[in-house]
This record gives sequence, structure tokens and C-alpha cells, in this order.
Amino acid sequence: MLYFLPTFFSVPTMSRRSIRSLNPLLLWGFVLWALSYMAVGVVAEAGVGGSGGVRYVVALLPLPFFLMWLVGLLREMRAMDELQRRIQLEALGVAFPLTLVLIMTLGLFEAARPLNPDNWSFRHVWQFLVLFYVIGLFVARRRYRYEA
Amino acid sequence: MKSRVRELRGEHGWSQAELAARLGVSRQTVNSIETERYEPSLTLAFKIAAAFQQSIEAIFSTEER
Repeated sequence: MLYFLPTFFSVPTMSRRSIRSLNPLLLWGFVLWALSYMAVGVVAEAGVGGSGGVRYVVALLPLPFFLMWLVGLLREMRAMDELQRRIQLEALGVAFPLTLVLIMTLGLFEAARPLNPDNWSFRHVWQFLVLFYVIGLFVARRRYRYEA
Repeated sequence: MKSRVRELRGEHGWSQAELAARLGVSRQTVNSIETERYEPSLTLAFKIAAAFQQSIEAIFSTEER
């Protein structure tokens, strides 16, 4: 999903590019991140690494690949024209307040009663940030959709 | 802001894609300017003016025409 965001949600009139011509950082960053993220989940469940520092090293393995993807995304954004950047900005303008509401709400729940970390933790919250960004892109793209 | 981009583009016989290519922007940007949903930056307004060989004031205005 993260891989397709910049292209799937880009402006509709941009020429559709084949996977081959996509920024390799986006492609490989996403593929390697997704694989390592799933692998780390399995390894963590199995308790590999004991309780030592190895556990932390294993847990952070997906991070370099995510940073790789992020660099690719930033390069894509730099190549956008001013309206496309405006759309991205408006998407973030929707996503940021929604994120504030979510985190504040979780904080209030946490104050009332500690949340089960299996249901709510940093591992869960970041996925909502992606969802809010997608909602923001949908709203912003509707505003500037093609009209004859 | 009122824009004469569509009118001038028609006079030149250019498609939105052709004008977009000349300006180095997407067709959606040209469309949004023509339909007055997006106000271009000063830099882009200068490029538009240069493409049509007109002044910015002759293309964009804040008053109803």
C-alpha cells in the first residue's frame, strides 16, 4: 500500500507509468520493507534473540528499507508540479488533525483505563496515519478533479 | 481569480496537454487553472504569460469580465 501511494493517488492526468519506470527506491524499498516487516513479526512472535540487544537489532531491521522507500517518495514529490504539491499539502492538512484527534482520544482512554497493547500500540497507530493520509488525498483530489 | 487561459489556448489551437507540456506542468494543473479552481503561482503565471506572449494582467484578473 505504501508503495502505491505516490502513483495510485497521484493526479489522474499524469501519464501512467509502468512498474519498470518507477523510482527503484520506491519499488525495492517497499518490497524489502514489507518482507522484512512480516519476517520481523514472525521472528518476534517466536521469541528469537532472547531478551538481549539482538532482539532490538532484529526488530529494527525493516527501518533501513523504509527509509529507502521514504527517500524515493521525497524524490517523487520533488518532481511534482505546484498543483500536485498543493494536493499533497491539503492531504496532510486533513491527515494531521485527524491524527491529533486519534492520539488525543487514545490518550484520554489511556487515562481512564490502560489500553491493551495487543490492540493499541505504536504498531497499530502508524497504520491509521496512512489511512488518514489516503482520506486526505481523496478529498484533495476531488477538489481538483478534471472538469471539461 | 478570473482567467483567460482557456480562451487563449483555444486561439492558439493548443490542447491542454500541449500547453501543459510547454509549461512543464500536468494537464490537471492547466485544467484547474482554466476552471478557476486553482490560482497559479507567480512563476507559473509568468510562464503562462510568456507562452501566450501576453502580460499577466491580460490573462488574469480579480474582476468579473
